[in-house]
Amino acid sequence: MKKYRPLLIAALAMILLPPLLQALGLTLISATDVVIYAIAALGLNLLVGYTGLTSFGHGTWFGIGAYAAALSQKHWFPDQIVVPFLFSMLFIAALSCVIGLLILRRRGVYFSLLTLALSALTFAIAFRWTKFTGGESGLGGIQRAAIGPLSLDNDAVFLALVSLIALGVLYLLLRVVHSPFGHVLVGIRENEQRATFQGYNTFMYKLAAFMLSATVTGLAGALLVFHHRIASAELTSVAFSGELLVIVVIGGMRSFLGPALGALFYILFRELLSMWTDDWLLWFGLAFVGFILFSPSGLVGIWQRIQSRWRPAPEEGAAMSKRKIYDGLPLPAFLRPQASTAGVDSVLEVSGVHKRFGGIKAVDNAALTLKAGQIHALLGPNGAGKTTTFNLISGMFTPDAGTVRLNGVDIQGATPYQVCQRGLARSFQITNLFRGLTIYENLRLSLQARHPARFNCWRDIDSYPVIHAETAELMKFLGLQGMEQIDGGALSYGGQRLVDLGIALGSKPQVLLMDEPLAGLAAAERERVSHLVTTIAANIPVLIVEHDIDRVLGFSQHVTVMNQGGVLMSGTPEQVRADVRVQEIYTGSGTPQVTGRVAGEACERVQLLRFEGVNAFYGKSHILNDATLDIREGEIVALLGRNGAGKSTLLKALTGLLKPASGRIEFCGQDIAGMSAPDIARLGIGYVPQGRGLFAGMTVADNLALGRLARPTDGSSGVVWSEEKILQIFPRLKERMNTPADYLSGGEQQMVAVARALSGNVRLLLLDEPFEGLAPAVVQELFTLFDQLRKEVAILIVEHNLDLVLALADRVFALERGAVFHQGPAEPLLTDLTYRKQILWL
Amino acid sequence: MELVFLLEQVLNGLLMGGYYLLLALGLSLIFSLGGVVNLAHGAFYALGAYLSVELTKHVGFGGALIISPLIVGVTGVLFERFLLRRFYAADPILSLLLTFGLAMVAEQLIRMIWGASPLQASIPADFRGQFVLGEFLFSRYRLLLLGVVFVALAAIWMLLNKTSFGRVVRAGVQRPDMVAVLGIRLQPYMTCIVVLGVGLAALAGVLFAPISGVQPAMGMDIMTAAFVVVVIGGLGSFWGVVLAALLVGVVRGVTIHFYSPAGEASMYLLMLLVLIVRPRGLLGERIERFE
Repeated sequence: MKKYRPLLIAALAMILLPPLLQALGLTLISATDVVIYAIAALGLNLLVGYTGLTSFGHGTWFGIGAYAAALSQKHWFPDQIVVPFLFSMLFIAALSCVIGLLILRRRGVYFSLLTLALSALTFAIAFRWTKFTGGESGLGGIQRAAIGPLSLDNDAVFLALVSLIALGVLYLLLRVVHSPFGHVLVGIRENEQRATFQGYNTFMYKLAAFMLSATVTGLAGALLVFHHRIASAELTSVAFSGELLVIVVIGGMRSFLGPALGALFYILFRELLSMWTDDWLLWFGLAFVGFILFSPSGLVGIWQRIQSRWRPAPEEGAAMSKRKIYDGLPLPAFLRPQASTAGVDSVLEVSGVHKRFGGIKAVDNAALTLKAGQIHALLGPNGAGKTTTFNLISGMFTPDAGTVRLNGVDIQGATPYQVCQRGLARSFQITNLFRGLTIYENLRLSLQARHPARFNCWRDIDSYPVIHAETAELMKFLGLQGMEQIDGGALSYGGQRLVDLGIALGSKPQVLLMDEPLAGLAAAERERVSHLVTTIAANIPVLIVEHDIDRVLGFSQHVTVMNQGGVLMSGTPEQVRADVRVQEIYTGSGTPQVTGRVAGEACERVQLLRFEGVNAFYGKSHILNDATLDIREGEIVALLGRNGAGKSTLLKALTGLLKPASGRIEFCGQDIAGMSAPDIARLGIGYVPQGRGLFAGMTVADNLALGRLARPTDGSSGVVWSEEKILQIFPRLKERMNTPADYLSGGEQQMVAVARALSGNVRLLLLDEPFEGLAPAVVQELFTLFDQLRKEVAILIVEHNLDLVLALADRVFALERGAVFHQGPAEPLLTDLTYRKQILWL
Repeated sequence: MELVFLLEQVLNGLLMGGYYLLLALGLSLIFSLGGVVNLAHGAFYALGAYLSVELTKHVGFGGALIISPLIVGVTGVLFERFLLRRFYAADPILSLLLTFGLAMVAEQLIRMIWGASPLQASIPADFRGQFVLGEFLFSRYRLLLLGVVFVALAAIWMLLNKTSFGRVVRAGVQRPDMVAVLGIRLQPYMTCIVVLGVGLAALAGVLFAPISGVQPAMGMDIMTAAFVVVVIGGLGSFWGVVLAALLVGVVRGVTIHFYSPAGEASMYLLMLLVLIVRPRGLLGERIERFE
């Protein structure tokens, strides 16, 4: 019964409240105020703290609740309290449903601004509609009336009634937050997108939470009307809405009773300080600003921090040591799809699917068929459209054309939660889990979504032993047993990948889509997870995107290779291995498409850049792992490696956009590791990112001018990149100077991006996929340009077209999982295809 | 006659729109570049108005028009340097709460210093009286305000589109990372944008004090209207905000003409309507981190 302890605490607090306040010289009136404000704040916190929707407009509900009770007593139910009270609640529930349908369409800051405007609208009406609401002077003459023989005009009796109602509300809210429904709300707060992919119609959950929250707050408003016997427009105002929110924040929104504590704080502050000064709100505001700056988790947060001095939280390492890994477990029975669907031969059929983003064809006539009992691999270079295809299948995007059939039923255009409910689950390329929830809760949310009780908002989640048993079994199957209580966000990267997979698996899918489940895993974990994948696939057909090609060709039965949005080929792993076209997209043909290279010996040149033992992380994922390379003056160095090997990250670490965790980056004899991006840029490193990063809507001239704005072009570091010289190199830009950069062709845009990067004493140019998406003739032109640039500037280039980049480069460095595993001259790799394959693929 | 009266209301509405515009533009700029929603923007407007009442006594209206926004601009520097800066990378909800708290504090400070009752701000003597054209009447002061708003709008447009300062700001809104790798530090630009934004709010405070009155809650009142404009126009869109401000002003003016108590409510209803049809506002684009 530990869960219901807040109820006990609250009951005790309400008994102690009147004598405590009287000791401070305050009356029962103030005590009643505390309880009423506490109810309102608890209602608001269901939305703010639990669902993650920050409402700046709950005064609307408080005020309308007050008016509804007052007006209905005045006009329809004179001398009654119960009926007006109930009427007010019903009215708020109905109204908040309508309003919620409208404003819940937006999230985050927009939601907050909409609620703010809602409050302003209500105030404008309440204040102006004098005939109805009493306007400025308020609506007085409200009767507390009586319940049976009990007159409520006695303040003690009224306080007792309010306290009883408060306990009732508290009990209701406790049940809600401990129910399956309540847990989904927290899931929405942590990661709404993931919740939709678990099969939850999050909009309906948010709407229900919004209505409940509004109704509880409105109920408090109705109580206040009977308490003070007057309703006023002030209660609907933005200022009052804000005060309610302030109460919640000061109390502590991540704790169940925190907002009630905030209400006590508010009333004490108001009553005690207003004896001394009229400006108590000033001090209250200052206190609030202090909380936001120093303790956003409120009073409860301060208390927890004090507490943790005595009782430090258990360390992650200790929890990890409890982990038990069982190898070779079969897939738990409850995860095996029903036999009826296994009868269908092709469980997932994608045909003729198209998707455009702006002018870019991300997916162009993609098709694949996933058969029962198979692992079907989806391969292809960066930008081939694999993840977009996943997004089209799983409902994240709607295809422009084409069909997606799941077990013979069309699902294209369905929303993610519908797709999931129909039996398709997916994992994500970028780890996507509920960071603030424990691993156990992460997985339980998935299993709960497949249970008929997923909408239940009354029964405790613990009264569903089936869900718990299934969660425990899933944890054991994944090899996570013993780590139940660790927060998703505190987990190592490998662990997070596993939980991400587990969330998808927990949806009891008939088809499972996995987006790079092995990325970033250590060797032993890779082995184990690939084994898991094959075990799963024995019962659930799997469609997998994975860049560890050796491994994926090893365990898959069928492979579809994509390139530039379309399907290049489809067949068995052996056919794929033998296919010349597939080899070409990965390792090139060995015959350069372009020629005209200016030969240049780059041996005895001065070192320009030394990148030594650099480690870099994105969150928990270790992207660069002791990466080391060097660049000399006047040479072109190519950086090779599979997707996700850390090439782009290496460039970002060089530019200062990503701070390396350790290591040394020496540029012209100066250590630049840890310097800010603008400072590094001024030293003479120019960067052209993937996708070019031009400023849309600005002319070519403007783009170039921004390059020169803060960086010198006077040649003080040995090179001069005047506008004149740049236009000499890129003559085509001369006629385009006044054209908006985003109107140019792809090749011209690339030229602008390079020209902009060079505009400022640049001695090292970084190019990330400069040939991506360009026509062959344009590629040739750019190739010649880069080739000539080598006389002026050293270049580090990342490019997946090996024929091109090897023809251009003097030396290469190849990355795998963030470490350099090969370095040497480009020449042998360019001409000797067998050697190239040996080094770089298969 | 009826038509002329309506025309007057439309003109008044445009003026109202210009008034919102001065605040909404600053809000939108601070929001797009810094990612913070400044609920304290109205406080700077109120401060501008109160300062102008004080300053007019000593240096006249013309002096107040220049000095008041300057003083407010300086407080804007402090505001940016010591408070706002900590929140650029944080959850936007936190900055929303912080600036709400600051707005509360500012309103109380004004009450403490100048009292709760409204102050008198009068129209400067040179601009009293009506501008008459046949049956058409329009106050000369309002005509002046229209002119000033127009000039301010044109100046901001020029600043954003024709200067290198504006180029950096627009580029920074799109791709702060790319601006950084071109060697440009965005921080000083952010300070300037905050100063510009709160300075414009103060300018609105000075100009509209004689018309809208000077009272402690004026900041909060205008804030919500300015946010309505920004939400209707679409966050981060210059022309969206301009269009929305004028639309809101005119709708309000015309509503007042037909049924005056509904004037204020009309703009919120307009907002609801726009959001049903275009959830991201008239010209708004999707900005992931604010969703």
